[in-house]
Amino acid sequence: MRADRVRLLAGMALALWLVLPLVPLAIWSVAHGWRFPDLLPVAWSFKAWSHAFSASSGVLHGLGQSMLIASVATALAILVGVPAGRALGLYRFRGKQLVLLLLVAPVLVPPIAIAPGLHGVFLQLGLTGGVPGVILAHLIPVIPYMTLVMAAVFGRFDTSHEAQARSLGARPWQVFAHVTLPAILPGLLTGALFAFLVSWSQYLLTLVIGGGRVQTLPLVLYGFATSGRNDLTGAIAILYILPGALVLALTARFLTGRAPGLAP
Amino acid sequence: MLRLLAPLMLFTFAAEAETAADKALKSMTWDAIVAEARGGEVNWFMWGGADNINQYVSDHIAGILKRDYDITLNRVPITDAADIVNLVLTEKEAGIDAKGAVDLIWINGENFRSMKQADLAFCGYTDLLPNDALVNWENPAVANDFGVPVDECEVPWNTVQFAFAHDSAVTPEPPRDMASLLDWIKANPGRFTYPAPPDFTGSAFLRHVFIHAAGGPDSLIGPFDQTRFDEVATKTWAILNEIEPFLWREGQTYPNTIAQLNELFANGEVAFSFNYDPSQFGLAVQAGTWPESTRSFGLTDGTIGNTNYTLIPFNSPNKAAAMVVQNLLLSGDAQLEKAKTEVWGAAPAIEISRTSPEVKAGFAAIVGHPSVVSAQDLAKAALPELQADWLTAIEAGWKASVGN
Repeated sequence: MRADRVRLLAGMALALWLVLPLVPLAIWSVAHGWRFPDLLPVAWSFKAWSHAFSASSGVLHGLGQSMLIASVATALAILVGVPAGRALGLYRFRGKQLVLLLLVAPVLVPPIAIAPGLHGVFLQLGLTGGVPGVILAHLIPVIPYMTLVMAAVFGRFDTSHEAQARSLGARPWQVFAHVTLPAILPGLLTGALFAFLVSWSQYLLTLVIGGGRVQTLPLVLYGFATSGRNDLTGAIAILYILPGALVLALTARFLTGRAPGLAP
Repeated sequence: MLRLLAPLMLFTFAAEAETAADKALKSMTWDAIVAEARGGEVNWFMWGGADNINQYVSDHIAGILKRDYDITLNRVPITDAADIVNLVLTEKEAGIDAKGAVDLIWINGENFRSMKQADLAFCGYTDLLPNDALVNWENPAVANDFGVPVDECEVPWNTVQFAFAHDSAVTPEPPRDMASLLDWIKANPGRFTYPAPPDFTGSAFLRHVFIHAAGGPDSLIGPFDQTRFDEVATKTWAILNEIEPFLWREGQTYPNTIAQLNELFANGEVAFSFNYDPSQFGLAVQAGTWPESTRSFGLTDGTIGNTNYTLIPFNSPNKAAAMVVQNLLLSGDAQLEKAKTEVWGAAPAIEISRTSPEVKAGFAAIVGHPSVVSAQDLAKAALPELQADWLTAIEAGWKASVGN
């Protein structure tokens, strides 16, 4: 009973700590004039929202671009990250430490250090100024997250289950669909969530490789934030948070480890 | 030795950089250029921080371009034109000479100088634009961009003149010249600050103090002069160090951007903000960011004015269409539309006297925003912009002697 109470209070404190910073954003988005020392805005207005949803603001276009790029980058990261994570998690091989180091390198080196060089390479390959190039650039920080999560998942994976399935006559795809996938699903979703959010929040790589032509939501948001338009920034920031929150809500059930077959 | 050779090398490159296609374009008639532009796509990289300016470009200008010329205008919002200068430079280094990503840039000052020096601008075509006749190229403030001759490398879009904003409900009687502003700062501790250079606006404020210390702009016009600079700089740093303890947060720290100063002003922490484009004051009041009682003023000893431009990079793949956009932006109707208070309130870059009677009447009918000091009032005391070398020297000197 007591422990439950503590847990409840801790949960509420955590929720408050996460939600409170968002409250001013929400208020700003409907404020017309909110200056110190006023506790609340002097007037309310939906101007910021109607501008955010108008075609000329580029917000909806940016939302669409961000969605497309983050989804494709996540899908590609899964294709690369699952086999690579399996190899890193299950097998010992010569140079494994080096591979791990190379994998983590893009996460350790700040993007601002690699962006100019990367821009030159992408220019020569004709990959700048378009969505495909931006997706490819996003994969640089996205793949390490995906692969490292999958390596940890496969590190605790028992291949004898797969062997049993095979000995019972299952075909390779059946083994994957009925044995491997259910076992790695929580980890896979965690990795995919990270991958999605890492791509979703890219600013510099998008700006440099997209050359300004690919306007994802962070670029649109930054433009208004740096010019001091708190009302528009508030509205766009809320739109910016939504997809991540939505993905998190949809996958939370799996992330807690209550995967099918393991649930009590 | 290399430094001496550099301008010479740039010159030879300039001669080579002109492609056959560029030459052919420049020899066309305007009608042929308009025909060539049809179906084109123009990527215009411009500062995107003001929703009304964005709307003017994306709705009004882009609408006319599509309807009358079948040109698609993509407004690409950016935060700093210097990024785009670097982008074009990287393209040049990578050998991309005809298929660049940028067709048009909103630009002036140091960024223009960089583009011109590195041969990144498409030049020598502006007299082809029919509306170029509306521009008074005899005016040195139009023919020179921060002291750098324009040389048909860019087309003027707006003229601006520096002004200060105050809240008339809080500071009903603001100081009207630099000397009394400096006295006011010392009499009202913590109520004034300015953004640290290289912020564009903070740097412009410094130049006003610099000109004040020099006793006027006359001895600072023309190319950079180290002896003269040292003389004036010593006085300038003395003034700025003297007021520093009376600034916001005792001058321990300075805002980094004009947006931060605007926010301090909005919240009443400081009594003044300032801007190179006074129409921004009206936009801030309309957006509800600043109080309705905001008013603005120039200094009786003058404030600096300049012109901002649009420029076509050397490697734009849509030069004809970009020229049509520039011509439309210069037209009397387009200049009138953006001069309207509710649209933007931007002062025109053309001579109103050369426009049609309808446009003239339109300009005469504009009622200015009460928070925006009129361009005519400001123009009564105008200072020229210093050349870019002065500007960089002042910024570097401030960092070493004041902002440390």
